Amino acid sequence: MTDPVVRLSGVTKSFGAHTAVSEFDLTIPRGTILGLLGPNGSGKTTTIRMMMAILLPDRGTVELLGGFPDFSRRARVGYLPEERGVYVKMKVLDQLVFLGELRGMARPVVRRRAMEWLERLGLGEWASKKVQELSKGMQQKVQFIGTVLHDPDLLILDEPFSGLDPINQDVLESIVREQREQGKTILFSTHLMEQAERMCERVCLISKSRKVLDGNLKKLKRRERSGVVAIEFEGDDRWLLRMGFTDPERVGDAYHLAVSDTATQDRLLAGAVAEGVSLRRFEVLEPSLHEIFVRHAGEQSDEPPLRAAGGAR
Amino acid sequence: MRQVWVVLRREYLERVKTKGFIIGTLAMPVLLLGFVGLTAFMGVQAERSEREISLIDLTGQIGDAVASGMADVGYDLEVVGTDVGLEELDRRVVDEEIAGYVILDDLTLNEGAFAYRGLDFPGTVRRALLERFVKETVLDMHLSSVGSESAVRRLLSGGGMTFESLGEEQGEMERITGIATGIAGAMVLYITMILYGAYVLRAVLDEKRNRVVEVVLSALSPWRLMLGKILGVGLMGLTQVGIWVACAAMIGLLGVPMVAAALPAADLSEIAEFLPGLGALGLLLVFFILGYFLYSSLFAAVGAMCNTEEEAQQAQFPVITLLIAPFMMQMMTLGGRAPGWMDWAAVFPFFSPVMMYPRAVAGSVPWWMVALSLVLMAVAVVGTAWVAGRIYRVGILMQGKRPTLREVVRWIRVA
Repeated sequence: MTDPVVRLSGVTKSFGAHTAVSEFDLTIPRGTILGLLGPNGSGKTTTIRMMMAILLPDRGTVELLGGFPDFSRRARVGYLPEERGVYVKMKVLDQLVFLGELRGMARPVVRRRAMEWLERLGLGEWASKKVQELSKGMQQKVQFIGTVLHDPDLLILDEPFSGLDPINQDVLESIVREQREQGKTILFSTHLMEQAERMCERVCLISKSRKVLDGNLKKLKRRERSGVVAIEFEGDDRWLLRMGFTDPERVGDAYHLAVSDTATQDRLLAGAVAEGVSLRRFEVLEPSLHEIFVRHAGEQSDEPPLRAAGGAR
Repeated sequence: MRQVWVVLRREYLERVKTKGFIIGTLAMPVLLLGFVGLTAFMGVQAERSEREISLIDLTGQIGDAVASGMADVGYDLEVVGTDVGLEELDRRVVDEEIAGYVILDDLTLNEGAFAYRGLDFPGTVRRALLERFVKETVLDMHLSSVGSESAVRRLLSGGGMTFESLGEEQGEMERITGIATGIAGAMVLYITMILYGAYVLRAVLDEKRNRVVEVVLSALSPWRLMLGKILGVGLMGLTQVGIWVACAAMIGLLGVPMVAAALPAADLSEIAEFLPGLGALGLLLVFFILGYFLYSSLFAAVGAMCNTEEEAQQAQFPVITLLIAPFMMQMMTLGGRAPGWMDWAAVFPFFSPVMMYPRAVAGSVPWWMVALSLVLMAVAVVGTAWVAGRIYRVGILMQGKRPTLREVVRWIRVA
């Protein structure tokens, strides 16, 4: 694990009175899949655009592949912007060849590779059709090919799966995974938590222009254990009351109990045994990403963040 | 530079391959052909219905034959006796009783040359017909009589009409040709600047609106992208204008004689005198290139500032005004002499294409003024490209509302 592929430190960007991204720090190590998560308007796209030097931060520094995101570095990135942009009047293959050549690839090489990709994504027979004749989903696939065509070290995908049907989402997901296996680093933004949970090794949550938290997804989940135990058993639930769990929440067959620490956990388990309850299930629940997010984003909005108070002038 | 080339090639090919381009390019010569044909036809009609011309034959040998030849093709000549005298004929011309008269003398007998005196030029077709019948008649005479071989040879190589103007100005022909070329050139420049400027504007705006530009700009600098686009559209423009000029030349060299040949007339290759010379064409190219760069970079900047077609319509207004103003000035002074300050207005780089080109071709300004305007245009091209490049660089990635003038100024200063 050498230098990080992307490093943002203290990045802030405002548009007029509106602060789009505030005091943002993020490090992406080589060879991971990182999901940038947040609701619409939370600053995901602005952050990505700063990584690509489409926007320059008001404050802070952006490093891409070890330095300022200049052309030579950006040329090693595959960038899929949020807004789907294609030359609709151009033929599919011509368009891909154009994009490849812009990045310095030789014409025959791009042509061959673009054809391979088109075949692979089931667009082979569309190669000489104009882009505007394709469906939205197909256009999106063409654009995705344009992103990976030049074999970039880093993929930056802004909402890559939005607007795709489930089948094509799966196809694209598997390609993203495969790229990861080839040692590439992938950053993608999404507002779909389930997807991020399925795909990411690391996540970075943003809400209201600030980073809420980031890190390895598994570790995050372990750390963020909700303190909820799901318990299922035979018989009535009066023993729970006797033990002081006055307000169990019923979820299907299970009871969800708030358990603040491991001692309480142990007490609960011991109590069940002592009462002779026949347990079917006893599970310390891991929170979903969604829950983690809501929890942290909620905190964020309730109390004004200290850093901003000290840092903003 | 390779990236500029890639952008240029895409821009060029994608445009040249469209149906619109092909149709637009071909429609123009067809229209032109129709126009030329119509003018030629109407010109002949006008010449025929003009006031009579007379013919005075000082040799007394060939006048009637020439007149009857002309009458056969619909041009009447009144043959007057030598007793009338040249002074009397001059008077008739000046008093506008007749349009002019042809003088046949000894030189005509020897070389086929003759003079025509009138206030105005007798008209292209009439002139050609006169020359043909005079030559034929004299040739007949020599062949049927004691004509020597050398006389025939002289006759074949020489001949032709001399125009002796009784109007105010000499060399009217050249002046008219120059003015016509200049006006046609100014029109071409005006139309192409507006047309190709609008293409550039659209190209930039489309790319910005569908956000392709974000992907493209991850691989090359805005400046190169702008340059590539402008060059691509410009090359397409040159292709189109080139095809037009080639067609016009063909129409001129082949078409007009064909039209004239459909009438019973002879060799009309003299028509070439009406066509602009290579010098005028070369100058047109220079003015086109400089003017195009000047305006297209402005249009590119406007496109980069806007988000919608409607915004662009409004925002391009100042640029369009810069084009229309000189065109109006030029057209207002078409007939008469332009006031002297206009020659100086023509030196203003943004006015130069439309105003200086016609002056340069007509030779109505000193050469150093033409040179000055070219230098100023070149300087302005660099300056405009610099400013426009900065606006473009910031604007192309800016979404949302249209920037205010103050913001644009800040882009230029800060970016």
